[in-house]
Amino acid sequence: MKVEITVNGEKKIADVSPETTLLKMLRDEFDLTGAKLGCDVGDCGTCTVVVDGESVNSCLMLAARASGSEVLTIEGLATFQKLHPVQQKFEDLGALQCGYCGPGMIMSAKNLLDKNKSPSVDEIRDALAGNLCRCTGYTKMIEAIQEAAKEINTTNAL
Amino acid sequence: MVTRNKDLQKTTESLLKKKDSQAPSKKPVSVPGDNPVIYPLDLPESDARLQTPAVGARATRPDGRLHGLGQTKYIDDMSFPHMIHAKILRSEYAHAKIISIDTSAAEAIPGVLATLVGDEIPVNTFGPTFQDQPVLADTIVRHKGDGVAAVAAVNEQIAADALEKIKVVYEPLEAVFDPQEALKDSAPKIHGDKTNIYTSKIIKKGDVEKGLAESDHIFQRQYSTQMVEHVPIEPHASIALWDGNGRVSVWSSLGRITLGREDLSRTLSLPQSKIRLIGTIVGGNFGGKNEITNEPILALLSKKTGRPVKCVFTRGDEFISSTIRHPFVMDYTTGVNNDGKIIARKIKLILDGGAYCSWTGTTIGKGSILAAGPYNIDNLFVESYAVYTNKTTTGAMRGFGAPQVCFAYESQMDEIAEKLGIDPLELRLKNAFTEGSASPTSQQLQSVVLKESLKQASDRFGWKEWKK
Amino acid sequence: MIKRGKGMACMWYPIGFTVAANASAATVKVNTDGTATVLTGTVETGQGALTVLGQIAAQTLGIATDDVHVVSADTDSTPMDTGAIASRTTYVTGNAIVLAAEKAREILFEAAAPLLNVRPEQLEAVDKKIRVLSFPDRFLPIDKVVAHAENTLGKPSIGSASYNPPTVEMDPETGQGKPFNAYVYATQIADVEVDDETGEVEVKKITAVHDCGTPINPMLVEGQIQGGISMGVGFALQEEILFKDGTQINPNLTNYIMPTSLDMPELEVELVDNYDPTGPFGAKGAGEPTAVPTAAAIMNAIYDAVGVRITNLPATAEKVLAAIQEKNKAVA
Repeated sequence: MKVEITVNGEKKIADVSPETTLLKMLRDEFDLTGAKLGCDVGDCGTCTVVVDGESVNSCLMLAARASGSEVLTIEGLATFQKLHPVQQKFEDLGALQCGYCGPGMIMSAKNLLDKNKSPSVDEIRDALAGNLCRCTGYTKMIEAIQEAAKEINTTNAL
Repeated sequence: MVTRNKDLQKTTESLLKKKDSQAPSKKPVSVPGDNPVIYPLDLPESDARLQTPAVGARATRPDGRLHGLGQTKYIDDMSFPHMIHAKILRSEYAHAKIISIDTSAAEAIPGVLATLVGDEIPVNTFGPTFQDQPVLADTIVRHKGDGVAAVAAVNEQIAADALEKIKVVYEPLEAVFDPQEALKDSAPKIHGDKTNIYTSKIIKKGDVEKGLAESDHIFQRQYSTQMVEHVPIEPHASIALWDGNGRVSVWSSLGRITLGREDLSRTLSLPQSKIRLIGTIVGGNFGGKNEITNEPILALLSKKTGRPVKCVFTRGDEFISSTIRHPFVMDYTTGVNNDGKIIARKIKLILDGGAYCSWTGTTIGKGSILAAGPYNIDNLFVESYAVYTNKTTTGAMRGFGAPQVCFAYESQMDEIAEKLGIDPLELRLKNAFTEGSASPTSQQLQSVVLKESLKQASDRFGWKEWKK
Repeated sequence: MIKRGKGMACMWYPIGFTVAANASAATVKVNTDGTATVLTGTVETGQGALTVLGQIAAQTLGIATDDVHVVSADTDSTPMDTGAIASRTTYVTGNAIVLAAEKAREILFEAAAPLLNVRPEQLEAVDKKIRVLSFPDRFLPIDKVVAHAENTLGKPSIGSASYNPPTVEMDPETGQGKPFNAYVYATQIADVEVDDETGEVEVKKITAVHDCGTPINPMLVEGQIQGGISMGVGFALQEEILFKDGTQINPNLTNYIMPTSLDMPELEVELVDNYDPTGPFGAKGAGEPTAVPTAAAIMNAIYDAVGVRITNLPATAEKVLAAIQEKNKAVA
C-alpha cells in the first residue's frame, strides 16, 4: 500500500505491506536509521520519533496510520551550521555512552522542550520515563536537558 | 519502585486510533530515498578536546556527536546488496535428547534460501574456558535458549515463519533447575555422568576454625542473589559475508574481536588469516557481548547462499539465549572480637552456573578472592562451587561475582556493627585495608585508598549529622 | 508510614583477568602535521575507550585529544587485544599505548636532538613541541620534527608495543598468589525511604566516592559511576529473571523491570585522589566496580529504616513488606 508522509520537512512516498511499522518504513524505505529497534513492543523507546508534535514509539505505529502526518526524526534536528541545543548539550556533557538509546532519548527531550520551556527535574524524568538507558543512569541526560532549556530560553530572549 | 511511564504508550495508542482523513500536504512529492539528510558541517570542537595536557581533560567523545545525530552505524543500521536475514530456532525443552531435525518443510517456503543445523558446523563447540557449548545443539539441548536450527531468508518475516516449519523430535530428559539440588548425587547430570560441579575454588589463610573458636562473637547468615540480564539496548547483532576468495568478513557487536576471531577460526575450521572480524560501536555490553553467539552460523549460511547474512536478536533471544548474571548462594560465618576486630571468616559460595560454563571460571575466581571484603582478616577460608543447571547460561556481567559477595559481606558488617554497638563507619575503618595490607591471597596491596573513600563519602553524605 | 534510613557499603575490585594473560598490543603513528593515529584491537562499547585511549596517546606525545584518531576493532588492521572486559581497557590497553607512543616519541627525540644541540634523553614532548627539559624556550614544533624525521631522515615516527599485567599463579590448595596487578576501592552511601505499609523502597540519594587512580577523563568516569549505580539500583530492588520449569516467564522489558529515569536517585559522585604508579599516568579503571556496592548500601539503608534485613535480592516491595510483617508478628 502507498504511504505519503512528510519526514523532516520533506514529502516522501513509500509502497509498503500493511503490517509495516513506521519504524520499519523510516529505516528500510527512507534509510533513516537514527531511530532504532530495541524491543519491538514499545518498552524501550529507542525508536522514538515525533509525529504531528507528539513523541511516539515508531515500532508500535503502523506506517499506514502515519500517512499524511508530519514526522520528525533525529536526522531532522540539526542544520548545516548547528546542532539542536539538546544534541549539543548531550555531546558537551557526555550524556550518551553507547548511544543506542540516544536518538529516541533526544527526540523525547526535544518534544518536551517544545511544550515546556523550563521543565523541572521531575518533569524531565517524566518525559524520559519511556526511554530506557542502561549505560548512564540518566543523570547527565537530565543535566543536559536543563542546560539545553536554558540555552533555548536565552536565545529566544535575545 | 515498579514504575513505567505509560504516557508515551498512551500517546502512541491515541495516534494509532487517529483517522486516516488528514489532508496530504501540498508540497511536491519526491521519489523515496532521494532526499539528502542534512548533516551539520564544520562544528567547533570543545576546548577540552583541544587542550594540552590531554590527561585529566573533560574531553568530549568523538563518537558522542554521531550518537546524538543518529549517525553512528550499529550493525542493524548496516546493509549490503543482496543481504538476507537469519533467525534461530530455540529448544522446546530445558533438557532433552535431539532425535531428529527435519528442515525440508522450511526450505520449501519461497524466499527461504538456506537452513543450518549443528552437525553441519565443522567444530560445533565453543566457550572461553571450557568448550562445552554447541553453536547449534545437535545431540542434546541443555536449556531452552539452546539454538537447534537456523534459517536464512530474503526477509526476517519469512525466516521467522520458516522456523515454525522445522520439525524437531526430542526425547525429554530429567532436568534440574536449583543449584543446591544439582549438587546432589541423585541429580540428573547435565554434562558427562559424574557431577554437575564444574569448577571450584579454595582460598585459605591462617586457621579459620581456631580463629572462630577464639572470637568473642560469631555471626552466621546465608545470603542469596537472583539472575539478572545485561539488557544492552542494542540486542546482539552480526552480519557475515563469505567472499569468492573463501574469506569471511563478519561485522559483529562483540566486545572482544581477538578472541572472537579465534572462536570463528576454530568452529569454522578456517585459518585466522581467512577471517576478518570487525567490531562496530557496540550498543551496550556490560559483559554480555564477550563471546560469539550467532557469528559462525551466519558465516556458514553466507557460504551456503553466497549472500551477506544478517541476524539481530529479538529482545526475547537476548534474554533466553545470551548469558546472564550468576545467582549466588552465600554462607558467611564471621568471628569478631568485642572491639570490632574481625578475627576469622568462613565462606561458602554456590554459583548457579546455568547450562554452560561461559565466563564462570572468572566469576568464581573474582568472587572467591573478593568474598571476604576489603578487610584485614588473618584467618580465612573460602570455598566456592559452580554447578550446572538447565537454565540460561550464566557468564560475564559487570563485576564478575563482586556485586553478589559485596551484598553479603557488607550486609554482615552492618549486623556486626549493630550487635557490638559500633558505628558502621567506625567498624569498617577498624578493619579496612590500608597501604601494604595483605589480601586474602597474601598479595601486598598498593595504592590503597579505602579509608579515604570511606571518610570522603561519609563527609559528603553527612553520615554523622544525618537524621531520620 | 514513610521511614527513612541510611546505609553504607565499601568494596575492592581488581583490574584485568585473574592470573590469566590478558595482553593488549597497540600501534601509534605520528603524522607529519603533528597529529597521530592509534591502532587498537579493543572495542568501543559505550565506556569511552576511543576517547580515553586517545587522551593517553595525546599525553604521551604532548598533543591534544583532538589531534589523535583512534582506529579500533578490525582484525585485518588492528593489533591483538583482550577486549572490552574486566575493567581493563584504560589500564592494560592504556599501558600498551603509552609504551607504543613512547617508541614513536623516541624517534622524534632522536631526530630533534642534533637540531637542538642536546642528547635525546634531554628532550620532552609537551604543548605540541619537542622541548629541551628545563629550557622551555628551546624547542621545535612537533610537526616540524615529525616531517624532518620522516621526509628528511627517512625515519617515520611509529611505535608498536604490548602490555600484560604481571601476576603470580594462585596455589591450587590455598589460593595464595598474586592474581592481579591493581585494585580499586570505593564507598557508596544510600539514603532511602521505605513505606512500611507497602514495602516500597525509594532510593532518595546515593553518595559514591570511587578510586580509579588518575581519572584520564573525569567526565567519563562520572558517567561510569552514575551508570553503574543505576545497574546497582536495579539489582537491589527490581531486576530478576523469573523461571517456571526452566522457562523464563519474563523475557521482555514489559515484565523485567529495570531502572527508568523515575527510579534514579539524586547522585553525589566524587573521586578519591590517587595515583597508581603501575597504570598509564597513574590510572587504574572504573567500569565494573561502580555497580558493586550499590545493592549492599541500599539493603543496609532499608534495615536502618525499618529494621528488616533482606538476605535475598531483589528487595521487591512484596519481599520487604513480608519481612516487615514477619518482624511485627515476632514483636507482638
